[in-house]
Amino acid sequence: MAGIFKQAGGFTMTPHKVSVCILMQIYAPPAAQTSVPFLFSSVSQHNRLGLFLLALTKSCEDILEPKLDELITQLREIGSVLNRWLSDHLTSRLSSLSSPDDLFNFFTDLRGILGGPDSSVVDDDQTILDPNSNLGMFVRRCLLAFSLLSFEGVCHLLTNLGIYCEEALSSSRRYESLQFDDSSNDREGLLEYENMDLENFVYEKVTEEIEERKRANERIPFHNHSPKALTGLVEDFEVSAGTKLKHRYKPEEVSQFGHSPSHALKGVDPSTGVFLRTNLQIQGYLLEQAGEIEKNGSSFPLNAFESILKQIQKLAPELHRVHFLRYLNSLYHDDYPAALENLHRYFDYSAGTEGFDFVPPSSSGCNSFGRYEIALLCLGMMHFHFGHPRQALEVLTEAVQVSQQHSDDTCLAYTLSAICNLLSEVGISGSSRILGSSYSSGTHVGTSLSLQQQLLVLLRRSLKRAESIKLKRLVASNHVAMAKFDLTHVQMPLLSFGPKASVKLRTCPITVCKELRLSSYLISEFSSENSTMIIDGAFSTAWLKNFQKSTSSSVFSQDNGSGSKSDAFDFCAQPSSIPGSVLQLLGSSYLVRATAWEIYGSAPLAQINALVYATCFTDTSSSADAALAYTKLVQHLAVFKGYQEAFAAFKIAEEMFLSVSKSRILILKLQLLHERALHRGHLKLAHQLCDELGVLASSVTGVDMELKTEASLRHARTLLAAKQFSQAVAVAHSLFCMCHKLNKQVENAMILLLLAEIHKRSGNAVLGIPCALASLSFCQSFNLDLLKASATLTLAELWLSLGSNHAKWASNLIHRSLPMILGHGGLELRARAFIAEAKCYLSDPSFSVFEDSQVVLDPLRQAAEELQHLEYHELAAEAFYLMAVVFDTLGQLEQREEAAASFREHMLALENPQEQEDTLSSML
Amino acid sequence: MGTKENCRNELRTAIRHLSDRCLYSASKWAAEQLVGIEQDPSKFTPSHTRFQRGSSSIRRRFRTNEMNIASTPTAGVSYVSTPTLLEEEDNDAAADSDFYLMAKSYFDCREYRRAAHVLRDQTGKKAVFLRCYALYLAGEKRKEEEMIELEGPLGKSDAVNRELVSLERELSSLRKNGSIDPFGLYLYGLVLKEKGSENLARSVLMESVNSYPWNWSAWSELQSLCTTIETLNDLNLNNHWMKDFFLASAYQELRMHNESLAKYENLQGTFSFSNYIQAQIAKAQYSLREFEQVEVIFEELLRNDPYRVEDMDMYSNVLYAKECFSALSYLAHRVFSTDKYRPESCCIIGNYYSLKGQHEKSVMYFRRALKLNKNYLSAWTLMGHEYVEMKNTPAAVDAYRRAVDINPCDYRAWYGLGQAYEMMGMPFYALHYFKKSVFLQPNDSRLWIAMAQCYETEQLHMLEEAIKCYSRAANCNDREAIALHQLAKLHNELGRLKEAAFYYKKDLERMEVEEREGPNMVEALLFLATYCKAQKKFEEAEVYCTRLLDYTGPEKETAKSLLRGMRIAQSGFPSMDVEHFPL
Repeated sequence: MAGIFKQAGGFTMTPHKVSVCILMQIYAPPAAQTSVPFLFSSVSQHNRLGLFLLALTKSCEDILEPKLDELITQLREIGSVLNRWLSDHLTSRLSSLSSPDDLFNFFTDLRGILGGPDSSVVDDDQTILDPNSNLGMFVRRCLLAFSLLSFEGVCHLLTNLGIYCEEALSSSRRYESLQFDDSSNDREGLLEYENMDLENFVYEKVTEEIEERKRANERIPFHNHSPKALTGLVEDFEVSAGTKLKHRYKPEEVSQFGHSPSHALKGVDPSTGVFLRTNLQIQGYLLEQAGEIEKNGSSFPLNAFESILKQIQKLAPELHRVHFLRYLNSLYHDDYPAALENLHRYFDYSAGTEGFDFVPPSSSGCNSFGRYEIALLCLGMMHFHFGHPRQALEVLTEAVQVSQQHSDDTCLAYTLSAICNLLSEVGISGSSRILGSSYSSGTHVGTSLSLQQQLLVLLRRSLKRAESIKLKRLVASNHVAMAKFDLTHVQMPLLSFGPKASVKLRTCPITVCKELRLSSYLISEFSSENSTMIIDGAFSTAWLKNFQKSTSSSVFSQDNGSGSKSDAFDFCAQPSSIPGSVLQLLGSSYLVRATAWEIYGSAPLAQINALVYATCFTDTSSSADAALAYTKLVQHLAVFKGYQEAFAAFKIAEEMFLSVSKSRILILKLQLLHERALHRGHLKLAHQLCDELGVLASSVTGVDMELKTEASLRHARTLLAAKQFSQAVAVAHSLFCMCHKLNKQVENAMILLLLAEIHKRSGNAVLGIPCALASLSFCQSFNLDLLKASATLTLAELWLSLGSNHAKWASNLIHRSLPMILGHGGLELRARAFIAEAKCYLSDPSFSVFEDSQVVLDPLRQAAEELQHLEYHELAAEAFYLMAVVFDTLGQLEQREEAAASFREHMLALENPQEQEDTLSSML
Repeated sequence: MGTKENCRNELRTAIRHLSDRCLYSASKWAAEQLVGIEQDPSKFTPSHTRFQRGSSSIRRRFRTNEMNIASTPTAGVSYVSTPTLLEEEDNDAAADSDFYLMAKSYFDCREYRRAAHVLRDQTGKKAVFLRCYALYLAGEKRKEEEMIELEGPLGKSDAVNRELVSLERELSSLRKNGSIDPFGLYLYGLVLKEKGSENLARSVLMESVNSYPWNWSAWSELQSLCTTIETLNDLNLNNHWMKDFFLASAYQELRMHNESLAKYENLQGTFSFSNYIQAQIAKAQYSLREFEQVEVIFEELLRNDPYRVEDMDMYSNVLYAKECFSALSYLAHRVFSTDKYRPESCCIIGNYYSLKGQHEKSVMYFRRALKLNKNYLSAWTLMGHEYVEMKNTPAAVDAYRRAVDINPCDYRAWYGLGQAYEMMGMPFYALHYFKKSVFLQPNDSRLWIAMAQCYETEQLHMLEEAIKCYSRAANCNDREAIALHQLAKLHNELGRLKEAAFYYKKDLERMEVEEREGPNMVEALLFLATYCKAQKKFEEAEVYCTRLLDYTGPEKETAKSLLRGMRIAQSGFPSMDVEHFPL
């Protein structure tokens, strides 16, 4: 409809097909009397040729066919004495075709190799092609195509034959060296088929076996042509049979495709090509590349791929999907004008209806129009990607209207989700003004509602819509979005009038868990998906990816669970038959789980979820997300095992994501180094690192609020460590104001706690207590359990510093939070709790060291040990000091001296942090 | 400008050279210019000048200063002299020249390969050129045929001129030897351009026109390689009157219509009867949307040259815009009987059917035009318009997009794309296209207005942006005077009464000048009356109110009550003034 001059892909005669026909004649000579034609020494050889021919015939809807010399190279790989004879015969036969009449005669002869309609009667000895077999069909199609040719057509065929032979002669020497490299590999494979009866060929079976064989020699270098060519063909057939393309590729293969596209598309690159590339295959290739681009983001080679696309475009000017790929390519390389131009061009040409994955919408009435709403959806995502929320919202609103108008429910559902996604992002980055001005009728949300409420309404609507039209994937991702929303938002009643229900001002972890569980149902349901239109289309993954961006709010304070194993890094996923997009969605749900548990303060669960993600989903997920998972794991290590292990793990992660998503790895590095510098008292370095982080937060492309918050938080902490209390308070205060404005409640709780800490250190306990209490109440309403324990601890410390008469109360508080801290807290938090506990005992006048010294000494020892892991000199010194005091009181002089010596050691280390520049920081 | 006599002599020689080398379109062009030079009436009998009688009084209406320019040749510029450089070539050995004559005859019968074969052993420059040229044309012909024969699936068409490679090899070696003449250079440039090495092609063509400026084909190839004003300015061209022709046409392609028009009018001083220049002027005027003048020019052209097909599609566009049914049908009939298989003819017929509202037939003819010339820009665009009429927006979008991909500077196609998307209720999406078209043609008020209307739609409601667009439109000669009215209305809507009053007043003035009446007038008057009243400018308000009284309808009553109100208000003022107002 859209392409005015579009033609049906015809089956035309080409020199390559003539060669195949010549080989057919050899395979089944018309006059053969014996069971095996004279020149084949064995049945197996004969069958091998048959298999080869079968593979060749599978790919006739060509975009580019192999040249003669390439065909000959392939022929040689059938491997036997007669290969030379075969190729010689082929060339001589081809070059003997010198006039149109030769061609006519050739095709008349060809008719002879076909059996009659009653071929079953013919006795078994003779090799005759069944007209209804694959090979027979091919021959018949060739005959038909030839007889349809006009005289001009015959002349063209003849000229092309001349060129075809000429090229082969000029370059035949080149391939001599290549031919025996990989013959051993495919020989085993082909041997399996030696005794197979090709006439009663059961296609499916072969498919399976070839698949298996492919698995077996998966490690064949990519350059080996022959086996790949065969399997590639079979794969291609699978695609045309309607199964999805993506499942077929093994991870290894995918990565090979992804990182060396210049090799991958041999078929299109005439200088190296051997593959037959069919129309469907090209489309499959494009689809797969689309996934690759989205996965690898900016590390995808821009120019190499661009040149391939240009080539494809030259070969197939009516294949418009190429423009879409160009769009994606420029999108991920942040080339705004090119992306815009290509997007528009693609939709102008295709009207959103191109590609074999296009399913005409079931609802009637919109067929005559193009599906331009998809164009709008894409454009919206593009603006979103480039950080133009205002335009994005504008476009998406338009998409809502157009899809309503054309009753395109699927697109509508996707658009709504995209808007939700946008709103939640924009809500975070704080340009809420967009809603006031132009928020439209399309979504029917009154402007009186706050941004959060609007978002909630939208989320619910889009979830409902997705459910009603059975878009399983969308349902799943909407559940994830809901979970994310519930995670950080207190649910308010939407209506401000009417009977007020009792409002529980807390987030609801159960809802979050429920949503996440619901989203995981996808794994069993995706096959019953109602519409496959956009989903497997290139861009479903694009927007799922956007989803995870906001997930990445890794909670930065180090208040989490237990240990981790670094061998997880080497894990390699099993090949599976689940589509990539499904895996991606599931993966994102695990990431959200990890984040949720981080926030709620269950370290083991958070870690397990991150681990699950890292082990199961890295292959399908985008590299940025994988990096995020690894980041989480490394942070856990740092918090729970000390820096030594964290840095070791970090090095592995850094290598993995060397080029990919550099920024996240870089940020992680800065975070780790900063943390460590703070602990070791290396304040100058800490300042420097903090500033670097700040720079990263406001890059040229835009301000990352997430990172900016973290940078200022770290700045305040550095100032605190440097005992510049008033400045620290100022920074923390302005940060609090900002977070309050942006509605970042979780961060608020942390900032309040930091303020309390600052007041505590500055000896202003009276000021600190309200802050701690406020933080506590925040923690309570957002279910931040671990943070709450930590706030309780700070509160206890504050009470303690008010005088020994509060010691009882303080110790009471500490004991209350101790289970949580011991269960889930990191090294630092636990040590602090131990020390505070010991201090409580010591300052309690009713407590006597002599009665039960272990009550004090045990926690102190433990604290000292853990702090040494962290190299937290200041606190360690304090612990040793307390120990020394206790020993002194007990009169255990030897142990006292020991503790005192350790104390001295840590104090010295704290005073001269530069001196002991060690192996660890040089590692990075 | 050289004197007329000089030009005439140069052209006469050039025509001989060009047709001797079978460069027929260039020689045709030169001949047209030759005849276009105004004869000295004293030297010629009336029978000679009869052809030129067409210089009717109508034309003089538009050009008053031509005589002055013609009579004062510019001094102090060096020109290339009369074409003499090729004389020695013409006296080749008699035998060679016999072969040449035979080859030329074959060539004239369009038997190119045969011609080339005859000249296979000849080494004279002329013979070499003709052989190469014949080979080139043979290749082109074959390519055209193959293009039809080979149209494969997915639009793949790899038909190429198979002679290009060998031609390039031969010509480049000739150029290195220095044994190449300007015609050879022209052919070399042509080959290079086809092969995609544009920079080299440009310099080769430049060489060619510098040494032999009378080959218009070389100039027009060069012009097609100058897609930006920078490349045009970078050319190092000798001064010659042919350069003015070149510059004029280059300016036109670069959409510098006024500059180009000036050049042509200047040239008309010498070539006052040149049909070519007239057509080009018409083209420039068409781009400036001066349809009246274009029509006059074309009428005259047709009178002088009734079998002309070139450029007639533009005339048909004008007739279409003016909705002249019978004239258009007459034109269509005429070109149809002259040459029905010209893309222009098909386009004209398409236009006719479109005007008649028979869009399916119209599309059929546009398609035929495109079959004849796949890169016929205006046919793609016009076909897009037809599809829009037929409400087949996807097809329209596709057609427009093809036009845009052929020439990304075609603002009409961009505009069409925008319109199509706006029709589908995607105003924001459409804006992208309007922006493109406005960028290419910033002085066209229609484009600005279309863009403003997009911003104004209910969905977008971005009134500030709409105002900006409307004020741009108002600044560039808004014929329909939509912009002023809209500006006033929008300002009023946004509560900026002062600005609104300003624009209403302007609009009113304009309507008065153009003697237009209508609801806009009433609206303006009503607003101004109320506004002036609120501003306490009672006298002015009274004027507006009294003018309103001329109209019927509710406004009349409003005006009456306004007047009444004002009088009461005035009578409430200090009594000394009251006497002065006669009631």
